[in-house]
Amino acid sequence: MSGDHIHPRPTSFLRRYVFSTDHKVIAKQFMWMGFVWLFVGGVMAMMIRWQLAHPGVPVPLVGKLFYPRSSGAVPPDGYNTLFTMHGTIMIFLGLTPLMIGAFGNFCIPLMIGARDMIFPTLNMLSFWTLVPGALVGLFSLFVPLGAAEGGWTAYPTLSSTIGTPGTGETMWAISVFLIGASSIMGGINYITTTVRLRAPGMTWGRLPLTVWGLFFTSILNVLFLPVIGSAMILMVLDRAFGTSFFVPATIAHGGGGDPILYQHLFWIFGHPEVYILILPAWGFVGDLLSFFARKPAFGYKVTVGAMAAVTILSAVVYGHHMFTTGMTAMLGESFMLLTMIISVPGEILFFNWLHTLWRGNLRLTSSMLFAMGVIFVFGLGGLTGIYLATISTDIYLHDTYFVVGHFHLTMAASALFGTFAACYFWFPKMYGKVLSERLGKLHFWTTIIPLTIVFCTMFVSGYGGMPRRYYDHTGNPYTAELQWLNDITTVAAFVLGAAQLLFAWNVIKTVAGKRTAAQNPWEVGTLEWTVPSPPPHHNFDSIPLVVTGPHEFSNPAIRDGKDWIYQTEPLAS
Amino acid sequence: MSATATCPPAETTRHRVDVAFGMAIFIGAWSMAFLTLFLSFLIIRHRQPQWPPPGVMLPSLGLAAAGTAVLLASSVALHAALRRLRAGARGFSARWAAGLLLALVFAGLQTALWTGTWRAGAYPDSGIYEGLFYMLTWFHGAHVACGLVALLWVAGAAARAGAPRLSTASSVAVFWHFVDALWLVLFVGFFLV
Repeated sequence: MSGDHIHPRPTSFLRRYVFSTDHKVIAKQFMWMGFVWLFVGGVMAMMIRWQLAHPGVPVPLVGKLFYPRSSGAVPPDGYNTLFTMHGTIMIFLGLTPLMIGAFGNFCIPLMIGARDMIFPTLNMLSFWTLVPGALVGLFSLFVPLGAAEGGWTAYPTLSSTIGTPGTGETMWAISVFLIGASSIMGGINYITTTVRLRAPGMTWGRLPLTVWGLFFTSILNVLFLPVIGSAMILMVLDRAFGTSFFVPATIAHGGGGDPILYQHLFWIFGHPEVYILILPAWGFVGDLLSFFARKPAFGYKVTVGAMAAVTILSAVVYGHHMFTTGMTAMLGESFMLLTMIISVPGEILFFNWLHTLWRGNLRLTSSMLFAMGVIFVFGLGGLTGIYLATISTDIYLHDTYFVVGHFHLTMAASALFGTFAACYFWFPKMYGKVLSERLGKLHFWTTIIPLTIVFCTMFVSGYGGMPRRYYDHTGNPYTAELQWLNDITTVAAFVLGAAQLLFAWNVIKTVAGKRTAAQNPWEVGTLEWTVPSPPPHHNFDSIPLVVTGPHEFSNPAIRDGKDWIYQTEPLAS
Repeated sequence: MSATATCPPAETTRHRVDVAFGMAIFIGAWSMAFLTLFLSFLIIRHRQPQWPPPGVMLPSLGLAAAGTAVLLASSVALHAALRRLRAGARGFSARWAAGLLLALVFAGLQTALWTGTWRAGAYPDSGIYEGLFYMLTWFHGAHVACGLVALLWVAGAAARAGAPRLSTASSVAVFWHFVDALWLVLFVGFFLV
């Protein structure tokens, strides 16, 4: 009901800032949570890179703090924990809260002309389910025998009590379960809000692409997060109650379960999860390219259709993660073909983006740079994905650094660039304060150059045979020869990590600074820019009537020397 | 007062549709969770050379069958209660209370099923059959527990205000029917076939 009538702003501190049901406050809560965890996950990445460049050498600065017993060097089990928790934290506690929690919450009601999410209490509950999930994950780092060590995919038997005897892995499973529950609640809210609360005139054809991306992501969230939730239930029962769902049958042990079953369950969720993270970024990019090229988004309907096609296809390709499990050739080839088909809608998106830029009046703001960066890094990641979708090459490249480079470019770098683009773009609306463009551009160039080096050298070392998840690859004379590549990756990774401090400084400085943002600093017509920055508690004084699409730039029918028009303004006939 | 006692508090049709829509997505999501567990059960079962494995202690079929009948009856009672509420007629509370009571009886029968199996020496770690039995029924039992709380909550609202909101009562009823449907699949899939 909150969409229809105005609720007074709560007056108590707790209701206003902690247990708030206001989507804008919840968005900020998700955002800060995401920032904190990105930092934690980033520090872990730096330690992984240190170990790969200098195996067994004490980590400078922080080593003594984390690993006092090995006088600062990362121990083997500590290394397993690092890459496991780095992946888990970045995906579930960094990117998901930022892209979907923060910008989903902030953008959807404002862009469709609603006063709040349709179920505000459920929205609050979604955040407060994520918090215990994050805390369980955090505390698991401090239990005896350490946190989860089975990789972010947690394959049994690595994740069974034989592979990881400590309670950390069980806590990891509980944490993922809670985070999944939080995402499902968010998904229910986003879908229902988008379907039921669009302002009059906000037809499906006039929805900003950002909302489309978040809508498709929400569909995948409600369909596939329950699958990982159930897999986590089975894993916790195996670990804590001694069942044997993922323990293979042996005469000595009993058993009767199947470790490959877990891989199926994990990837039925895991492959859509990749698109859960990338679809919002695609949505941001589709809008931002149009906004800053001052042109309508090329092929709007086709872009939406391509995103829908990817959403559907994402559910039927998961087997390409399991080519080396000995699946039948027939099944493997089917998964290979279906995976290849995804590149068709993927290419449609690329051509539409490039055509949106073509002969546009480009405004190279930080937000635009990061949006264009998504095209670049996703292009690199997408093209290398073809080698991994092809069975014959995948069997060679499986579990090498080629895979690490590929998925970091697609689901990590692209999603992160989309998030940065969104941050620079919507920060003025969120806080009424504009992030520094000078620092923003510096941030962009100091990010994209080392990032490209980091992941492209990974392609080379992976192609050369550098395996994933090895504590020390120098023992093997063949992989030891790849040391120089690892050294380059590590140096570039440190530059990349340091560059993110520019962003942190920019955000902190801006939030602490004065409110200076105009209502519409980017001269964009979507509904969130028709209200003051930051928007009032109830968003819109009266629910707007939408009469034009989101990308009516440089339309000859626009008068008064402007090249843009609000979605609430009619085009002159 | 008595004439209006069963009239639900006013709410717009729009709101009812909003809630029903959200509830439909919720049920869809939870069906995926259950489907995952049930298919895992079927796959593991399919891999066994013999089912049930030789020498396992089978849980009481009689208790499970009695539970099925009681659970179905509780759904019927809730459905009848909801029809009264929609029509604005008397008799919502009595039917809802009957549904709640039957739901409690089901919970009792389930507890008897678990304790009986447990006392007979079949634990989750005894073997794959026992593990699957506890996994599926515990997962279902967790939903029964949540459903009971929701049923009680609506009964409480009815006792306080004369009648609950229609959107709340029908959401809870839908959830309970869902719990019911899950059990039917379990009963047929695990106990009968």
